Parts: sequence; C-alpha cells; structure tokens
Amino acid sequence: MRNIRNFCIIAHIDHGKSTLADRLIQRCGAVEQRKFRDQILDSMDIERERGITIKSNAITLAYQADDGETYQLNLIDTPGHVDFSHEVRRSLMSCEGAILLVDAAQGVEAQTVANLYLALEYELELLPVINKIDLPSADIERVNSEIESDLGLDPADAIHCSAKNGTGIDELLEAIVHKLPAPQGSADEPLRAMVFDARYDPFRGVELDCRVKDGVIRAGMTIRLMHSGKQYKIDEVGLLGLERVPAAELGPGSVGYVLAGIKTVRDITMGDTLTDAARPATESLPGYKEAKSVVFSSIYPMTTDEYLELSKALDKLVLNDAALTFEKDSSAALGHGFRCGFLGLLHLEVVQERLQREYGLALLLSAPSVRYHVALNNGKSIYVDNPSYFPDPSTIAHCEEPYIKGSIMMPERYIGAVMELCRERRGVETSFNYLAVGRVEITSELPLAEVLFDFYDRLKSMTQGYGSFDYEMLDHRGTDLVKIDILVNGEPVDALSQLAHRDKARARALHYCERLAKTIPRHQFKVAIQGAIGGTIIARTNIPALRKDVTAKCYGGDITRKRKLLEKQKEGKKRMKTVGSVDIPQSAFIAVLKSDIDS
Amino acid sequence: MNDGPLAGLYLHVPFCAQICPYCDFAVRTGDRDRRRRFVDHLLAEIDLYAGCSACFDTVYFGGGTPSSLEIEDLARILDRLRSRLSLADRTRVYLEANPEDVSADSAAAWRRIGIDTLSLGVQSLVPAGLSFLGRSHGVSDARDAVAAAREAGFHTVSIDLIYGLPGHSTAAWRRELDSAIELEPQHISCYQLTIHSGTRFGLLEQRGELTQLSVDNQASLFELTHRHLNAAGLQGYEVSQFAASPEHRSAHNLKYWNHTPYLGLGPAAHSFRDDRRWWNVRRTDPWQDRIKQGRSAVEGTETLDTGAMVLEALMTGLRTYAGLDLGRLRSRFGVDLIDSNLALVERLESEGLVALEHDHLVPTLAGLAVADGMASSFDISAPATAQAI
Repeated sequence: MRNIRNFCIIAHIDHGKSTLADRLIQRCGAVEQRKFRDQILDSMDIERERGITIKSNAITLAYQADDGETYQLNLIDTPGHVDFSHEVRRSLMSCEGAILLVDAAQGVEAQTVANLYLALEYELELLPVINKIDLPSADIERVNSEIESDLGLDPADAIHCSAKNGTGIDELLEAIVHKLPAPQGSADEPLRAMVFDARYDPFRGVELDCRVKDGVIRAGMTIRLMHSGKQYKIDEVGLLGLERVPAAELGPGSVGYVLAGIKTVRDITMGDTLTDAARPATESLPGYKEAKSVVFSSIYPMTTDEYLELSKALDKLVLNDAALTFEKDSSAALGHGFRCGFLGLLHLEVVQERLQREYGLALLLSAPSVRYHVALNNGKSIYVDNPSYFPDPSTIAHCEEPYIKGSIMMPERYIGAVMELCRERRGVETSFNYLAVGRVEITSELPLAEVLFDFYDRLKSMTQGYGSFDYEMLDHRGTDLVKIDILVNGEPVDALSQLAHRDKARARALHYCERLAKTIPRHQFKVAIQGAIGGTIIARTNIPALRKDVTAKCYGGDITRKRKLLEKQKEGKKRMKTVGSVDIPQSAFIAVLKSDIDS
Repeated sequence: MNDGPLAGLYLHVPFCAQICPYCDFAVRTGDRDRRRRFVDHLLAEIDLYAGCSACFDTVYFGGGTPSSLEIEDLARILDRLRSRLSLADRTRVYLEANPEDVSADSAAAWRRIGIDTLSLGVQSLVPAGLSFLGRSHGVSDARDAVAAAREAGFHTVSIDLIYGLPGHSTAAWRRELDSAIELEPQHISCYQLTIHSGTRFGLLEQRGELTQLSVDNQASLFELTHRHLNAAGLQGYEVSQFAASPEHRSAHNLKYWNHTPYLGLGPAAHSFRDDRRWWNVRRTDPWQDRIKQGRSAVEGTETLDTGAMVLEALMTGLRTYAGLDLGRLRSRFGVDLIDSNLALVERLESEGLVALEHDHLVPTLAGLAVADGMASSFDISAPATAQAI
C-alpha cells in the first residue's frame, strides 16, 4: 500500500492536462509506442476533436523510482468542464493527491481556482505544476505570483515542465512519489470501496471502476452496494491498464475494475460504496452530490420511423452516462420523442453528437429550457421544464427561475464589455475585483436561462478567448415568465414553443419568425408566421405566395416522367410537418432550433 | 389497341442539324443516308403493330426535326400507316418543322401528302433570342416560313416560342408577342425556358454562367403571355398553348392530357392504353438494332394504380383552362377528389387559384401558374373498395 499513489490532474480547460497524462503514460511504458496516440485517455471521438475530457478515466502506471522501488501510480483523469463537475467530484474522492496544472502563458484561470477548492474540500495534497514552459509567451514570474496569491500555494514547490516536449516529466514523477501521500486503510477492516465510474461493455456488462478504502475485494465474493442494497457476485477484478489486467484481488488503497454481471449503469449509483455481503461495513464512505439536470430539451428523430432506434440509442447511452435523464415526450409537429435532462449545454451537445455519430441518427432538438418553479393560485406549486406543460397564466400566482453565480475572469480591458453582457442577460449584484495586476474577476448573479443561449460564445468572442466562465447554482428567484408560441398561418407549432422572460420574448419570437421565413419554402398562398404570448401577437413575418411552379412542357407523351416528378414532390411533402396547411421542412426546424445553440 | 375513343399516333424523328442548348429530348444529328435507314426501321416498327385494333385520328410527326426527312420518306411512312393501321377518315396529321426547311415548294409538298398542321420551331422573333437559343435560322427566315406555310393553306399553322430567357423583360417579351400576333398564326405554343440538367444550358447553370429568371419574374412573364395573347384573340387552353379558335387546338396533345390512348413509334416514344404506359428504348441505334432483329423496341412499361391515374389527371387537368373533370374522376376511378380535400380546395378557392364550375375544378390564371404545386397538394387516397373484404 505504501507504494501506491492515487492522484488526479486538475486544470483549466486547454492547459494541457491530456497531453501531460499522455506523457506520464508513455514515460511509464504503459503503452507500446506504436499503439500510442494523442489524448490516449480520451476514448470518445468528441473528446479528441474538442480536446476536452468528458468522462473520467483511470489508468494504472508502474513507475520505477530513483529509490529503486516500483510504485503503482493510479492516474485518474477528470473532465475539465463545469457541466461535468459531478464526475470531477467522484474522481477527487478516489485520490490522495492532485497535480494542479497551470499554463505558463495563461496563468491561473477560473477553473484552476474552482478545482482547487474542490480538491481542498476532499483534503487532497496538492502539487502545483507549471506546464508549457517551452512557449515563447511563458511568463513563469507572473504564474508564480498567481500561484501564491490566487491559490495560496508555495510557488517554490512547483514543478516546471513541458508536457509537449517531455521536459520536467522525470522530476514530476519523483515528486508524485515523494510529495503525494500513500493511501491509508486496513486490509482487516470490512470491505469499503467507492464506485467512481462505470462503463458499459456489450460483452462484459458493466465494468465498475472503484477505489478500495478498506478491506480486500476479490473474484467470487458477493458484494453489496450499500446505497441501493443490491448484491452481486464478482466475476473478475483487475487493474486499469490501457487494456484490462485481471488481478487476484484489490487491496486497500488500490484502484481497479470490478465485473459483477451488472446489466446497466442505471443499476449502479455512482459514488455508492461496495461492501462484502458476508461481512458488511457499518458505515458507507462519504456520499457525494447527486448530478442534477439543469437543462432540458426534447429530442425527436428526423423521421418518425427512427423513433425506436432513438429509444434504443438513449437506453444504450445512459448505460455509460448516468447523468443523462429522459422520458417520453411527443409533439404534434414532430411526433414522438424524448424529453431529456442534461447537466448543461455542453452535456446536451455531447449527447446530441454521440447519438448522431455513434448511432447514426438524424435528430431535432427543441429549444433548451431550464426548470422553472411555478406557484399556482390554488396553493400548489409545480416544476415546469417543458413549455407544453406551462399552465394557463390565469392560474399562476408567480414563477421562479434558477439563478447561478457566474464567475468570469479576464484581462481588465474587457471589463466594460463583459459588465454590459451581464446586464443585458439580467445579471444582478454584478461586481468585480482585481485578482492580480491587469486581471479581473467579475461575479454576477444571472438567470441560468440567460446563460443557456450563446452566453459562453459571446463571452469568448468579446474577450478574444481570454475570458473564462464558471458557475455554481444559487437558488430560484421570482421572474416574469411567459410562454411564447410560434404560429404558422394561425396554428401553433408546439415544438417551437418556449418559456422566456417577458422582456426577452419579443426579440426571441422575432428571431424564430425570421428564421422560419427563410427556410419554409414558398407556398401557393401567403404564409403568415407569428410569435404570440397567449392571444397577443408580438412578432410577425410573411412568406409571399409562390407565383409560379408549373413546367412549360408536359414532355409530349411522356406523362410518366412528369408524374414521377410530382410523386417525388408529394413524397417530400409527406416528410414535412404540416401545420395550418403549411408544409414545414425539417430543415426549417433545424435552422430555428439549431441557432439557439450555435448562434 | 381495342375499340374505344379514337387514339393518337406519335412518330419520333430524332434527327436535328444541331443540338439546341436547351433541348433534352432524344435527338441526334445524322446525314441523309442515316435518315433514310431510320425511316426503313420506322416502317418495320409500324409493321409490328399491324392489325392493332385501335382506330387513330391524329398522326403526329415530332422530334427532333421531322421536317428534315425527305418528302418521299414522309409519304412512305404515311402510306405504311394507312395500309397497316386503322386511320379515321378525317385523321389530322401534324408535322413539326424548322423554319429553314420551309419553302413554298416544301410546304406545298407537305400539303399534298396530307399534312394538316405545321408546327414551326420559330422559338424567338428577335436576333438576340435566336442566337442565345443556338438556332441557325434568322428572324426573317422565321417570318418567311410562316408566310409560306400560310400561303400553302394548312388547316393550322402553329409557331413555337420560348420565353423567360435570362434577363428577359416584360416589355421586350410583349413586343415579341406582338410580332408573333402580326404573323397571324392559328396557334401559338409559348414555352417558358426550362433548364434541364444534362443540356448545354444545364452545364452553364451549374458553372454559374447562366442564371434563370427569378420565380417572380417568371410569373410576371407567364401572366403577360396569357393576358396578351387572349386579348389578341389567341385563346389559351393550356399552360403553354393558345389557339385562334377551338378547331385549331391540338387534338393530338389533348389526348396526352385526358387519358386517351396513344401509340408512340420511334426511339424514346411513349404509349398509353387503359391503365398501362410503355416506352421505347431512348437511343436511336439500340432502337434500330431491336427493330432490325424483328423485336419490339419497348424498353419499359408500367401499370398505373388509381392513385397514379388520379395524380396524372390532376397534373394534366389543372394545366388546362377547362380544368379537371370531377365527374369523370368519379365515374372512371370512383374518386371524389373534393370530398377528400375539402379544406385544401376551400383554401385554394379563397386564394383565387381555382374555382368549382360545372363539376370541374378550374384553375384561374394565377392557379395555372402553380398547377404543379397544387396537383401535388391533393390527398389521393384510393377509395374503399370491395377488394378489402
């Protein structure tokens, strides 16, 4: 046990975490050179493409230290985005130490600080590392002062490295061995192991990643999950190399995997404690915060016959993504679909991309919504995250919407623009303080709904990429909530309804109307597109009538050719959604709904 | 073909002196020998249908450029038709002709062998239009051809015009229509330029070197064409067809539009009878090869179900001034189109696109312009039949 080190790397996005992990893996020879690829721990395409880690990942490395002993280093890679902080927490709970990675050029960023606090919460030993020292723009002096002032750590302890070219990696490995503590625990105590991740494998069932605190876990044993009370017989345990390495047992302090014939990830609550059914522990390991959905959207298949496939794909996806929730939903315009809950917009995008890529589905997503709290006149109160269930306004006493505390860090020259952005997004209690010379943190209490729509992208572009954003949930606060309906020739398109603050309703409705007007093909009659709150029209556009479509010739006696053309047209119309005798192509829904995330 | 309404006969002559940049019909170039050999094969194909029970009252030489055939070749074909097939006493014979091929002599010769209607491929009456359309004749050739044809005493002289060329203004097109009216043809076909892929124009469009008129401009030209010609006494009866009086309408084309049987001979020609359509191989050489081997040149066939028949009726009916005969749909197919499309018809009526008159669904002028979209909007559910039991 004294030769085990469990650690993670915490860093702001893009500070080089995955590259550093790659380098450590290579240095310890855990993977043959020919099998190596960049971001080796990021197994999903999306992770590689975007350079972000979405799922936690663990790997066991064998390191022969300068003192001649071989150490088992368990590197637990954690996601680097606010949406996935629940995964971060679980990972942190499995570690004794953390490498706090700081970019030598960018310095301490919002997430560096947020993750530091998290790490401190779990009493991890911290090892500051300054990465990218090979960059011409590296400013180690400044980073040192930020480490001291913003993080409260001693910059003298910091290891300087370049994960890119390998400088300082040996020093770092020695520091991991000597500065991070070995795990504690007793092999004689009843088994307690925390599940920090789970993966579904179609051949092996669910593979649990766990960290043993006390006791020993071995194949053949019957384990009990202390939260759910479910019992399973263990088929296999082992170490998490890049390929799985079966082992006889996992002792205290170990990190490894467990196979126990579990069918789906939903049978497992992440953070649950495994214990020996024959000799159960009395107390489970400290709990964790349940991941809560904060963003909701309905997902529909492009063609109704893909509904079953979508349903199956979601079932499979949740095997691996316990934070995703879904239930059946249906729309008059788009047919059957699912109302899904996400941790945030990035999570939503990730799920959407995985469904599209891994399952080849063409999808439509309704406008993302937060969960509102609606107090009714009859004294009851309900939660509404789906515009379809928004009650008649006359029955509503008042509404509340979730607020977050946003923290934005950036060079001071952007203060004006960012303060304005917060104001525009209904931010209150907006204030700023200087973190260091030239660096400012703005905090603002913002409605979460305002952050859902292109807030992050706007921030990034107005700060030329220097701004960082992090948030925590605050509370629900009173709001003047309205339901915007989009009408096509007087009939509402339910999939396009959305909830919004009254002050934002007109602009949002107009945006939808204009998008639709651009993408709905001209009909033989004029098409009116309107945005409405109840019976009041707040925005409108028109699509002029199509004045000519008839072809000049009937191709002589070749009636077949012309009929086939019309049959094709008819087929095309069939695939459109007809609302108020207006045929709306899928592309119109895409143009409208996609713009919410992209624009 | 069995007894029934008098059928139409179409003969496709694929030869052209050159291929026009807008044309996507089955055409090719060919010298005199080639054309003669083609006629030999066409005669052989007529023989294949010898004794067919249908009686024809229209014969249409289309193409291509059938006027490029020698007079004796045309005569041979007509003689063979008369000897092998049953032609009605007052069979109307149509010939498509290029202005270059029309002279007092050729016109007189055509009259002599029994051609009644000469359809002249004038295409444009301004030099810029002719050169854009890649036509080799000049404006004066066209005028002379019309004059010669009228002189020869055809029952109907018709001229074809193409409008909606890139940049075509309403003023320029109105002047051109006036020139056409001055020629006093008994029939005019005005086709709006359609750019087909696989043609020279299609290629230019793909390369971005040719842009079609905007839909709104097309619509304006379309309305102008109909209003102007109707006012001048050339009454429209279909999207692109205008006649000085009902007797000058194309009795042959009407058969295409109302499910009357017709037989097509020659490459790419299409035929229809009862609920069946069939068509010959498209290219000339394979067509000849088949005929030479004494085989049928039919390449494909389809049997139409009620839905397809009704869609065709809608598509062709809504293209005509007379409109869609609803009673005929009920009696022939057992389909009550209005019943199953009440909301749509009401909307189309209120938008001023159709009117219900004498059990016909009649398009207005604005409706004619969007006939395709209207036709594809109808719900054509086959009626419940006893078959289900």
